[in-house]
Amino acid sequence: MPAGVFKERYAELMAHLRYPIHWAGLALGVAVLALLPLAGAYSVSLAADAAVFLIAAIGLNITTGLAGQISLAQGALMGVGAYAVAKTVEALAAGGHSVAGMALLLIPAAGLAAAAVGLLLALPSFRLKGYYLAMASLAAQVLLVYIFKTIIDPQQGITMPDEAKTVADIYFGDGYPMYYLVIAITAVMALAAANIGRSSVGRAMKAVRDNDVSASIVGIDVARTKALAFALGAFYAGIAGALYALTNNSVAWDAFELATSIDLLAMVLVGGAGRIIWGSLLGVLLLRVVWSNLDAPLSSLGFINLVGGVDAVKYLVFGLLVAYFVVKEPEGLIGVLRRVKEYLRLWPFSY
Amino acid sequence: MVVLTAQTAAVNTFQALVMGLVFAALGLGFNIVYRVSKSINLAHPTLVLLAAYTALVVSTRLGAGMAVAVAAAAAVGAAAGAALEVLIARPLRGRPPIALIAATLGAYYVFKALAKMIAGDMWTTASLPLPTFTARFGPVVVDASDLLALGLAGGLVAAVAALHRYTRLGVAMRAVAEDPYGAAAYGLPVRMLTMLSWAIAGAAGGVAAVALAAKTGVEPSLEVYVIEALAASLLAGLDSIAGIVLGGLVLGLVYQYSNFLLGTILPGFGEAAAFTLMLFVLLVKPYGIFGTERIERV
Repeated sequence: MPAGVFKERYAELMAHLRYPIHWAGLALGVAVLALLPLAGAYSVSLAADAAVFLIAAIGLNITTGLAGQISLAQGALMGVGAYAVAKTVEALAAGGHSVAGMALLLIPAAGLAAAAVGLLLALPSFRLKGYYLAMASLAAQVLLVYIFKTIIDPQQGITMPDEAKTVADIYFGDGYPMYYLVIAITAVMALAAANIGRSSVGRAMKAVRDNDVSASIVGIDVARTKALAFALGAFYAGIAGALYALTNNSVAWDAFELATSIDLLAMVLVGGAGRIIWGSLLGVLLLRVVWSNLDAPLSSLGFINLVGGVDAVKYLVFGLLVAYFVVKEPEGLIGVLRRVKEYLRLWPFSY
Repeated sequence: MVVLTAQTAAVNTFQALVMGLVFAALGLGFNIVYRVSKSINLAHPTLVLLAAYTALVVSTRLGAGMAVAVAAAAAVGAAAGAALEVLIARPLRGRPPIALIAATLGAYYVFKALAKMIAGDMWTTASLPLPTFTARFGPVVVDASDLLALGLAGGLVAAVAALHRYTRLGVAMRAVAEDPYGAAAYGLPVRMLTMLSWAIAGAAGGVAAVALAAKTGVEPSLEVYVIEALAASLLAGLDSIAGIVLGGLVLGLVYQYSNFLLGTILPGFGEAAAFTLMLFVLLVKPYGIFGTERIERV
C-alpha cells in the first residue's frame, strides 16, 4: 500500500480542507491577509479593490463557468448594487433622515436589488443560448449604463457622506477597518460560492451547462436553474458594487461600462471558468492586480515612446493573452498550475 | 419641443436612409461570418475601427485619393478577417460558443491596439478629406459625405449579395454555409472557402468603415455604431445576406427618429433605441425575419 493521507469517512473526503497542505495554506493565507496592511496604504486599497472584483468575478463564474450562461452584463449589475446604496443614502439624506452606517447596512439590499435585475436578465436565457444570449446581455449592459447615465446619475458621480460609512465611531471608508471588513465579506461570499458549487443546485447548473436538453430529460427544471444562476451571479455583482461604493470616494457610471464586463469575463476565462474560487482568484490577480500596476514599469521600459503609448501596448497584450488562453489553455491558469503541480509531484523521475 | 413637419420628415428620412444603408453594410460582416462559422465575430467592431484609421492615414498622411483609401481599408480588413479565421476560428471549431466569443473579444482588443498604433497622434476625432459639394432636392441637402456613404454602403451590400447569388464562388460559399461535410464530399475546399468568407467579411467591414467615417468622422467611438449594427443583423436574421438591407433601414429609421424626437430630452437616445430594438428582436423573434430557425437534437 502506498504512503499517503487516507480518509475513513465521506465527510472527511468532502471537506474543503482535506490535506495537511490545505491547513498550511489556510494559515499562510490568513497570516498574509492579516499582516498585509503593514505594507502600506497602497497595498490596502489595492487588496480591497481586488476583493471587490473577486466577488464580482466569482458571481460571473457561477453564471458563466458553472451554469454556462454567457453574460456580458456583470459590470452593469455591479453598477446596480453600487447605485442602490448610493441613491438610497442620497435620498435619505435629502429627506432629512439619519444616514449613519447606511452604506454598510444596505450591502445585503444592494445584492438583492442586483439579483432582481439579474432575474430580468435571465428571461432571454429561457429562449436563447450561446451567441444570442451573449447579444441579449450585451444589449442589457448598454441599456443599463444608459439608464445610469441619463436618469440615475446625470451629474456623473454620487458621493456618500462620511457618516453613512461610519458605525460605532469607526469609519469604514478607508484604512484598516475598511480592509478587514471587505476581506471578511469576501471570505464569506467565497465560502458560500464554493458550497453552492457542491450542492444539488450546483450540480444541476453543471448539467445545464454541459447540455441543457439532456438536463431537462433527466428531470432538471432548466428554466429555474438558469434563473437561479443569473440571480446568484447578479447577487454577487450587487454585493461587489455595494463594496465598491463603500471603498471608493464616489460612484460614477463610467466604472460599470461594457469594458468592465469584458474585463470580468476575461478574468473568469483566463483564471479558469468553472473553478469558482481559484479560477476567479487567479484571473483577478493577473488581470486586475498585476494589470493596474503595469503602467509605471512599462513607461520606464520605454514603451511610452512607442506609437500609441502604454495603452496600446496593454490592449495588445491583454487581447493576445485572452485569445491565447481561450485557444490553447481552455481550462485557464488553473489548468496550467495543475500541470505544473503534476510535474513537480513526480519530479525528478517523470515516470 | 421638436416638431415633425413635412420638411424635417424629409430631411430625417433621407438621413435615416443613409445611416440605414451604413448600418446594413456594417452588419454584413457579422452575417457573412455567421453563415460559415455559426458564430458571431465580436472583433468586428474594432476591425472596422482599424480599417477606418487605415483609410484616414492613407488619405491624409499619404495624401492618396479616396479610392486608394477605400482599397487600403478593404485590404486591411480582409487581412484581419483571414487572420481571425486561421488563428482563432479554425482551432476553436467544435468548441462551445463561449470560447469563440471570448477569443474574438481578445482579438477586439488587439485590433483596438493596432488602430491606436496606426493612428498615432490622430487618435482623437478627425474627418476624412472629402470634396465640398452640396446639392439640394427640395428641403433635403445632399453633400459629399452622404453620397460617399450611400454609394459605398449600397454598392457593398449589392456586390456581396450578387457575389453570393450569381457567381460560382458564391454558390460554393453557400454550399459550405449550408452543409460543410456535404460540400467537402463534393470536393469543395471547405477550409479555403471558410477563410475566404472571413476575409470577405473583413473587407466588407473595411469598405463599411469608410462609409461610416464619411458620415461621422474617424473617432475611437466608431465601434459603438458597429455594435448597434448587430441589431440590423439580428433583425434580418444572422444567416441572411440581402435581407440585411431591410434590417439596416429599420434600424436607421429607429435610430434617426428617436434621436430627432427625444434626443433633446434624453441625449444619445438613438443608441439606447438601437439596443432596445436588439433586445426586442432577440426576445420576440430571435432568428430574425429571414433567418432559419435552428432545431436541436441531443
